[in-house]
Amino acid sequence: MAGERVPLGELSSEFASVQLTIDHDGNGPRLRIEDLRTGHVGFLDPLELETLAWLPEGALHKLLDPSLLRWRGDA
Amino acid sequence: MTSADLANRWDSLIEPGRVHGSLYTDPDIYAAELERIWYRTWVYVGHVSEVPEPNDYVLKSIGPQPVIMSRDKQGQIHLLLNRCSHRANLVCDAQKGNSSAFRCPYHGWTFSNTGKLLGYPFNSGYDGTALKSELGLGRVARVASYQGFVFGSFAQDGPTLEEHLGAATDAFDRLVRLSPTGEVELTAGWLKHKVKANWKMLVENETDGYHPQFVHASIFSVADSGIGELYGDKSVAVCRDLGNGHTENDLRPEFRRLDQPLGWFGTDPAKVPGYVDQLTAVHGDNTREILIDGSPHVMVFPNLFIAEIQLFVIQPLAVDETVQHVTAVQYKGSPDMNRRMLQQTIGSVGPAGFLLADDSEMYERNQRGVHARTPEWLTIKRGLHRERRDENDHVIGDATDEVPQRAIWKHYRSLMEGQ
Ligand code: FES
Ligand SMILES: [Fe+2]
Repeated sequence: MAGERVPLGELSSEFASVQLTIDHDGNGPRLRIEDLRTGHVGFLDPLELETLAWLPEGALHKLLDPSLLRWRGDA
Repeated sequence: MTSADLANRWDSLIEPGRVHGSLYTDPDIYAAELERIWYRTWVYVGHVSEVPEPNDYVLKSIGPQPVIMSRDKQGQIHLLLNRCSHRANLVCDAQKGNSSAFRCPYHGWTFSNTGKLLGYPFNSGYDGTALKSELGLGRVARVASYQGFVFGSFAQDGPTLEEHLGAATDAFDRLVRLSPTGEVELTAGWLKHKVKANWKMLVENETDGYHPQFVHASIFSVADSGIGELYGDKSVAVCRDLGNGHTENDLRPEFRRLDQPLGWFGTDPAKVPGYVDQLTAVHGDNTREILIDGSPHVMVFPNLFIAEIQLFVIQPLAVDETVQHVTAVQYKGSPDMNRRMLQQTIGSVGPAGFLLADDSEMYERNQRGVHARTPEWLTIKRGLHRERRDENDHVIGDATDEVPQRAIWKHYRSLMEGQ
């Protein structure tokens, strides 16, 4: 149903805080991730999430580099 | 100093029956101990049950060194130094957590939980990519575990953990044998007791069978406990030099004489039927003997005291400042026994407990007393005339003898004067 949001909860560590919600604004459900420190929001669809469940060790290392996206050197 | 000077120096500080007071107060000696003992030999750090899931981590220590114990996604355990390779901030601050990566709060440098530098903000500020491969987190050179107990050594080479533990491996085997699953868990949480005393005061006290009847008389009488008798002049218990500085108060001869299953724990099998059934399912006819013998009372040099149902981890912070970290032993899968062990631990070493409070007062008084100018020496001769060897060729003495203290100093000296 469009507009329906199912809150899943907040996950925090000493490094990050995110609010998770299942979002139905689109034609199918998505996971809505809100970075509570900045308010920035991102989405993951079921296929993306399934892919994440299969991630091998270290697959996110490149993405965890702070200068890849958020704090880029002169891009 | 030449090595002959050094040898002379230790000759003038440590004798077979006495040790010099400056060993507890001299900051130079303390600095040398950090290098020669704490940053070289195997030191207990943590237990695998404290990082049960992939990407779990806990903050630990090796003496004053801050250590992160992490479990990576493959299950392997790492001991990393909690110091950012940029400008040395603490990378982790939470006592425990779950994260595949750690991000330093100062400038955002980010490390995997295996210690690899993954990146840093605004990377054009650095020339080239060599930085990433060079600037991982520091790590404890060697990591090994025995029965789930994880030890670290800053030395690249040296004896293996099992060589270092030697006869003390038996204490771990006996401890986990009392768990029906053969595993203990350190999940009860930790209490920290800070004392203004040198760390060796604590190590020597853990297997000192001479003091309980005096220092702990009040708790024994309030609790109507028979423990005091175990350390009396009539006791058939023995103290033992297990080698490599490890020492023991072996109370089994007394428990066997008394012939009461779970008597060592101050209870009887009828009170914990679930636990006894579980243990019987594993050990059959041997169960009675296992329940009579009880749990070990062993000081594993330099910092892990297995005190029957509790574990104490000794952490020196300065020549006259030491923290004891205390937790209750928990047998994996034995809720009835675990509840009792936790209650007893809170009663004896919790914030309102008597046992550790009494010991701590002695530590601090000792540290103040040892500053007095004369006599310059501490006497550890008790039972020297009646030392003997057991069937495994270990030196033993009567329950109240100072065999353990002599054993600790003998090993200490070998570490301090060795190459
Ligand atoms: S000190 Fe850690 S990022 Fe600068
Ligand atoms: Fe500032």
